[in-house]
Amino acid sequence: MKLYVPHIGHFEGLEELLAGSDNIYAVYMAGSPEYVGTGRTNLSTPKLDEIAQQTEYAHSKGVKMEIVLNSSCMGGQHLTPEGYRAIDWYFDKLNSIGIDSITVADPYLVEMLAKDYDMDVVVSVLSFVDTPQKAEFYEQLGATTIVVDPAVNRHFDKLEAIKDTVSCKLKLLVNEACLYQCPFRYAHFNFFSHANGPGPKPNVLDDYYYYKCLSLRIKDPQQIIKSPWIRPEDLKEYKHITDTFKIGGRTHFVNWILNNVEAYANERYDGNLMDLLDSIKDLKDTFYIPNRELDGAIEQWKKCDKVCHKCGYCKRLAEKVIHTYSGSGEDIRKIPLGSIGDRI
Amino acid sequence: MSMTQELLKARTSLENNLRELLGVPVFLIEMDAFALPCGCGGVTINTRGLQLDDLEVFEEHILKYLTDTATSLDIEPSFLFARLIPGTAEIASINARVLCNSCYMDFGRGSGKQPRPDIYIMRFDRRK
Repeated sequence: MKLYVPHIGHFEGLEELLAGSDNIYAVYMAGSPEYVGTGRTNLSTPKLDEIAQQTEYAHSKGVKMEIVLNSSCMGGQHLTPEGYRAIDWYFDKLNSIGIDSITVADPYLVEMLAKDYDMDVVVSVLSFVDTPQKAEFYEQLGATTIVVDPAVNRHFDKLEAIKDTVSCKLKLLVNEACLYQCPFRYAHFNFFSHANGPGPKPNVLDDYYYYKCLSLRIKDPQQIIKSPWIRPEDLKEYKHITDTFKIGGRTHFVNWILNNVEAYANERYDGNLMDLLDSIKDLKDTFYIPNRELDGAIEQWKKCDKVCHKCGYCKRLAEKVIHTYSGSGEDIRKIPLGSIGDRI
Repeated sequence: MSMTQELLKARTSLENNLRELLGVPVFLIEMDAFALPCGCGGVTINTRGLQLDDLEVFEEHILKYLTDTATSLDIEPSFLFARLIPGTAEIASINARVLCNSCYMDFGRGSGKQPRPDIYIMRFDRRK
């Protein structure tokens, strides 16, 4: 199994990360937003010399280095002569450094990388590849690897069709934990891309999409269960699709990342599932979901046709396993969800 | 009790009250005491899962809880308001603020519950 692991971007973080586990096949981190942004928030913006130093260090430990430049919107700047030249220059520098792979979301950058450089070209989840047809297009553009849209993590028919259609490698993002069929997905990543890109940066009041995302789960906790994460124990169900899995979480502390690495490497986690989930980390002090109580749920999801209002399995499961934390610090209690109520 | 212990206790108590009232695990993600250069001070409580219709329907109860919270922290509950994400039903925070003279004039000129798209006033004690 190959685990791609998030790295927060500074050298000390990389040292700590690689000292903490022998199960890391590759690390990935954001590049400098001056050239191409990224569709997630970042803790750091490493310059080329820092990237070079960290790449050398990762390689010395037998670990591959991937740079993530997966802006989902560049406002057309990449198609201008100046934009093209800047990105081409940056790709060239990354290539010289010895970066193993670059993750991009824009099809133009996929083709540009595939045509002119030696680095593996990885198609981001923010390209939303969720059908064999889309996968085929990206493969034709030159993709070496496609990170499949997590929205189909529980659509085994689609995963298998994508696997059968393309010969490039596939990677699955296991713990993004975005809402299933999230209505904010495109807008949110476009917002991030501008906020974490070359500029001009928007001076926003609040991240509306994130507030809304958390509100929806608080009002209707079954959404946490429906979210298409893959539990460590369930990796075995995906091994006929791929042996390559990506852990999300570029904005977390190293110990959080290492906890995930250990869980997914061992294919087992005995704690709170919320500990593992990336995008809703702010709710880990609200909800307690004993991971092992979800054993066997994958059997339902494998045959699930996603017509939730007829099925109700995830709703029943949520009522059975989710608890909410009440109190704080040492005076904390777990209360079954049913006693809090559900207005949906 | 130290200030942080007071804040911890107040956060938990308010969260429990809101959850019981609304039947939803509303999450008070952070409670901060603040002091501004202008002279305003108070507490701001960042919320997740609390929405404008909750406030409108249960305002009387929520106002009481927020008043109690402010009082328990020795903050005069003269200006209590929610901050919204403008144009949406999402409440970003609820606040108890003791206004300086300058800010008092800013808010005092306005009328109604929403002097700005991002402010929903629950209580504003006018000075004599």
